[in-house]
Amino acid sequence: MNEIVCASGVELLMEYLDGILPPELRAALDEHVAGCPRCTAFVASYLATPRIMREATAAALPADLEASLRAFLRARTNAFRSR
Amino acid sequence: MAVPIEEPTDETLVARAASGDDSAFEVIVERYQARVFRLACRLTSETDAPDVLQDTFLRVYQHLASFRGESQFRTWLYRIASNTALMHRRATARRPVEPLDAFLPRFNAEGEHAGAPADLQVASHADELLDHQFLAQKAREVIARLPDGYRDAFVLRDLEEMSTEDVAQTLGIAPAAVRQRVHRARLMLRGYLSDLAGVKP
Repeated sequence: MNEIVCASGVELLMEYLDGILPPELRAALDEHVAGCPRCTAFVASYLATPRIMREATAAALPADLEASLRAFLRARTNAFRSR
Repeated sequence: MAVPIEEPTDETLVARAASGDDSAFEVIVERYQARVFRLACRLTSETDAPDVLQDTFLRVYQHLASFRGESQFRTWLYRIASNTALMHRRATARRPVEPLDAFLPRFNAEGEHAGAPADLQVASHADELLDHQFLAQKAREVIARLPDGYRDAFVLRDLEEMSTEDVAQTLGIAPAAVRQRVHRARLMLRGYLSDLAGVKP
């Protein structure tokens, strides 16, 4: 009944990973991916994408910005007055 | 010698700060400034992030008394930071960008993936194949090329690792819409990473 091909399987990935896919669809997707080397490869890259993007966009706070944030808040609040 | 003492929880600090203890507010700033800056860079740009950072903590200070403890402090803070970032972005004219639709997955007439398995999985180790600096630069650029709604949902859900429900509340959209946008963003970015690593999406 739930005939899954790669294209329809891809559209279920988000719900699958969020754990909200109905059990029968979940089982059908599991079965398709297990028997499909292309989907197995695709899913690996789909899963890795958030991590790679997260690590690549993890900007560090520059020290001078930390100092200017303090100065800004000191001027507008009662905080950072004693430093 | 310093005696190790237990770190006060966010909620303890907020309660102290709300009753006028400014040193507690300073600890909150120190605890979250790096994370707010990172979020601001992801939702706006490195140019706008410093203003977002300042405005976020000013608003937090001004609204400490209205924090009800119904959500975690961190969620509340992220919501203020996100809204501040989005307001800054709306105030800045958006430059025309090339859409990312070309990076969506390709299927043949039978609905099967067009690529070979070896090519399809290349994006999963794009970070090992590409120069670190180069990837960081490209990642910043491509996030700014996502449609705004996709960018916001992807940044909050996948980069800041908020729950789908918290993202939905922050952006004022349904959880199903969050999932749909995050999914589309993942597909585009996955294809983009494949392309950077030298294979077709």
